[in-house]
Amino acid sequence: MTNEETKKIALDSLKDAILNYDTEEAQKAAQAIVDQGVDPKVAINEAVLGASTTLHERFERGECFIPHLVMAGDAMEAAGKVLESAIPKEQITSKKVVVIGTVEADLHSVGKNIVAMFFRSGGFEVHDMGVNVKAGSFISKAVDTNADIIALSSLLTTTRPYMREVIEEMESVGVRDKFKVIVGGGPITPEWAEEIGADGYGTDAYEGIEVAKKLLGIS
Amino acid sequence: MISLLDIAERTQKGRKMPEDAWNMSLFRKISELVKRYEIPNYTKDTPFLNLDDDLPERAFHAGVDLLVEHGVYCITTGRVVELSRDEVLGVVRESPKEILVGTGKDARVMKQRKVEGKEPLNFCPGHHTPFTQDLAPIVVKNFAQIPRTDFIEGFNFTEVDGHEIFGAPIEAYASRRQVSWMREGVRKAGRPGLSIVLYPITTRAEVLTAAIDPVDGLRSGDGILTSVLPDEKIEHDLLATAIAGEDCGLWRISGSFSMVGGFCGGADGAIVEGIAKPLTAMICYRAFVNYTGVENVSTVSALSIPLQPLNWARSVVNQTLNRFTNTICMAWIIPTSGPGTESNLLEVAFRTIEATINGANLYAPRHSRARMNAGQTPVEAEFMVEVSDATLAAGLDRQRGGELLSRLTQKLEGRQPEPGFTIQECYDLVNHRPSPDYERIHQQVKEQLTELGLVFP
Amino acid sequence: MISLLDIADRAQKGPKMDENVWNMGLFRKMNELTEKYHLHYPKDNPVFNCDNALADRAFMAAVDFLIETGIYCISTGRVIQLTRNEVLNTIKGMPKQFAVGEGKDVRILKQRRIEEKEELNHCPGHHAPFTEELAPLIIKSFAEIPSADYLEGINFSEVDGREIFGLPLEVYAGKREASWLRQGVAKAGRPGMAVAYYPINTRAAVMIAPIAREVGLRPSDGILLSVLPDVKVEQDYLTTAIVWEEYGGFKLNGNGSGFVGGFCGGLGGAIIEAIVATLTGWIVYRDILCWGGVLSSSAFASTKEIPTNPTDVWAASVWAQALHRHTNYIIFMATGSHSGPGCETQLLELAFRAISIPINGSNVHISRQFRARMNASQSPLDAEWLYEVSTAVMKAGLDRHSAGDLLLKIGEKLKGKAPEAPYHDIREFYDLVHHKPLPNYEKAYLKVKEEISTLGLIFD
Repeated sequence: MTNEETKKIALDSLKDAILNYDTEEAQKAAQAIVDQGVDPKVAINEAVLGASTTLHERFERGECFIPHLVMAGDAMEAAGKVLESAIPKEQITSKKVVVIGTVEADLHSVGKNIVAMFFRSGGFEVHDMGVNVKAGSFISKAVDTNADIIALSSLLTTTRPYMREVIEEMESVGVRDKFKVIVGGGPITPEWAEEIGADGYGTDAYEGIEVAKKLLGIS
Repeated sequence: MISLLDIAERTQKGRKMPEDAWNMSLFRKISELVKRYEIPNYTKDTPFLNLDDDLPERAFHAGVDLLVEHGVYCITTGRVVELSRDEVLGVVRESPKEILVGTGKDARVMKQRKVEGKEPLNFCPGHHTPFTQDLAPIVVKNFAQIPRTDFIEGFNFTEVDGHEIFGAPIEAYASRRQVSWMREGVRKAGRPGLSIVLYPITTRAEVLTAAIDPVDGLRSGDGILTSVLPDEKIEHDLLATAIAGEDCGLWRISGSFSMVGGFCGGADGAIVEGIAKPLTAMICYRAFVNYTGVENVSTVSALSIPLQPLNWARSVVNQTLNRFTNTICMAWIIPTSGPGTESNLLEVAFRTIEATINGANLYAPRHSRARMNAGQTPVEAEFMVEVSDATLAAGLDRQRGGELLSRLTQKLEGRQPEPGFTIQECYDLVNHRPSPDYERIHQQVKEQLTELGLVFP
Repeated sequence: MISLLDIADRAQKGPKMDENVWNMGLFRKMNELTEKYHLHYPKDNPVFNCDNALADRAFMAAVDFLIETGIYCISTGRVIQLTRNEVLNTIKGMPKQFAVGEGKDVRILKQRRIEEKEELNHCPGHHAPFTEELAPLIIKSFAEIPSADYLEGINFSEVDGREIFGLPLEVYAGKREASWLRQGVAKAGRPGMAVAYYPINTRAAVMIAPIAREVGLRPSDGILLSVLPDVKVEQDYLTTAIVWEEYGGFKLNGNGSGFVGGFCGGLGGAIIEAIVATLTGWIVYRDILCWGGVLSSSAFASTKEIPTNPTDVWAASVWAQALHRHTNYIIFMATGSHSGPGCETQLLELAFRAISIPINGSNVHISRQFRARMNASQSPLDAEWLYEVSTAVMKAGLDRHSAGDLLLKIGEKLKGKAPEAPYHDIREFYDLVHHKPLPNYEKAYLKVKEEISTLGLIFD
């Protein structure tokens, strides 16, 4: 077997383990990749993030569900830790961090959960604040976690203004430029996003992730 | 029946659990119950609507077991509300099969229907959608004038008296305004006693209860929307509102459908959650009227027109609820296309035929991704009644109804949702009739349905 | 008159400010205004203020504060800013009197004159904690007091045998309180008597839930919506105010007060804050009644000595006079005691406080131990005694000078005394069934009454 073939088998094993939501197997496969001397960065890009694309497609087709994204995310995280330990510190690109939640006075969560899972399975570090989250809490969390993105969801027309409040609060405490803000949800439109000074808007989870990646300069 | 104060106490004292852990545990439990009770998944050979009369009983036990073995989660306190089998079955047994809503000559009886039942359905024509303040009283009047209306739900708006609705104080004010406009609208329609259901401006308890006032606001015979959250979750603001409403004679309605793709899993798991949720609503909020069934995320985000396996799953859920509980089921009809379009009316027809056969009542057809003033018009609501009456007149059962729906599916397959029009663009609110273009579309859709086998009296 | 919706808007959109910055800013502004308007205790050590010009200056200082500094919303961390016209026009909108209650039990609450000689309005109880099983009887007992015009609600920690914990049960408890109040007044043969809801807690939902025309709070009833110390307001209160405004109930401010030693600084600052807090209650919540005054923080919190400092009495009189001369505000004085009910010391304390009431143009408010204890903070006799003394002061035709002398004499009796609280339950010193004190308490009452008589105050 050639080196290329060996490498392909190793990467496929990792990808399969993730797509089978098997954290233990994913860890073993990641370790095998490291032991074989395969470039861990290649493994992250091809196997881990590759699995993520497949998962999102499966979700869209209704072949997997949110819990599967959670389990896949666990497997990805476990594999990621093993792979990153083999990358010299100065070469590690830290994960992009997202703080996500439904704004104050709004309890809707389904869309937000899906976006959160997509981010996680897309290789982001995700902090899901839940629902009915006050502006200050989003910002504190973003500061504490050194976030890249604050993602806001609202499903009631009357709770949209709380998205604006988050942005205004960011300005008043001088952190507006530190985080990108993306917004989404039933009553949210691109016009609203522009009106409140958000950096991006997604019609749905797929679009949201793409917008986030574009804002952060990630392919 | 377990009291709401007992529920309140358990939310404070039940065992603590992080929400992430609850979510995954729910998924595992539902997966286990699906296996235990052999809840099948939909295949291309499955009939359009469920014809397996043994399945609802198994599904019922799965739903009860979910509550008994897993409980309900309070997101406010991060604690699990545990329930005994006796408590769950007690509510199943003792909850009413019918409730009186409204007052005086406009009082109506909301009742549980039978699968393939022959009696006319209860009907809420609107709203649960946003309208601007200037349109409010006339829109409400238009919907309340529809003769078969049994109750009417409120609507959302973003400004009141020139102020943006932002912050609890103005939200509470807006909540009172909503009901007072509703009250004015039903009076203008000559139906002063028609039951009004508050649609939350926001879900803060003070905003919900601010609207309670027997003279100018919600009174005994009116209702409030207090929905069980996805993944078997409840919450303190809604529970406090239920307790306050209980005291004042307000009835509660809960959005109790499950979502395929969520933590319940696929259609099989969504069936189990779809049965457990209305029971949860009855136990925790005393909500005896529920929008029931199964949806998908793409339904509510208007990305694509939802078809199987949702239709089949919904029929299982409704059959189960109607045979084994006293739940008064409402079908939540949420077309993915906006009003004034052929797609919208076809989707409304589709879901209405299904609801009529499934033993559900009819609930406000509104665009799933409603835009301001563009969520619905009275046409879709009246059309719903027309289709339902035709379905009853045709004596459609699950088999024949399923065949009709299969044929109708072909008209919907491949269509992309259309945004539709604002109410002012496609409807004459002064004279209570559709625009000529919309009326033409309405008649065309009726012709199409007639060609498919549904005859309108 | 600025609307409550405008206030709500400004609470959401006003300039942001850290609360610590607000507090220190308040301190500096109060000091500045104290000096600008020369609000210092006069050298002749009066008990009651006799300088009308000083009262006028205190009012001007308060208006300046509102215009130059504003009001702070702690929910949003923003400042509500007001113009001079808005403040003055809104103040003009206050009614001088209004009706509470229904039917034969309607009462008119009105602004009094300084050195008032007419019968005063009276709220005899509660704002105190009682257990659930005592509640209806307690309420009935207080409602039976002939001079009672309205009653305030009670607090309690259990309802239907359950601990009141968490919003759902708090809402339920709020509704229960309102229904017990209604039952209690009905049992006293005064079904139309107004009741003022005492919040179980200050969540808006808990304050709104008891609204229920037939069995709870009616439009002729009221609610306590207080301005917070340091001129702060809050959204749960504002939400409740907006709902109540439309409903029609009256609102009262339980904190038209300044605390010497707080962020307002010294005596001058405390006077200004007390006036500002009273005005804020009207502007932000439409509080139509207020109880307040000026107290020393240390004296208020004292457990070792009963404070009888004449400077506090003087400062409270400046507050009252400023409001009387420039607004229509209907005020009640803060008339609690450091001692618990049932003993001579408490009755003497209440007599001390009662002197100020008619002199300051105030009405008679709840007498209860400041550090309220479950079932042991007040009794109908304390309330009746407070009213008795106030009435005697009026009938004696006392003015600011002669009342001051009397007050000092009573103060001498209290000097050096530590607060006492000999009882743990009202039933130990008061017969709730027959609406009378038990013998020991009656003895103490008669003794104190005799003592006060020897000081020159004649009772009927």
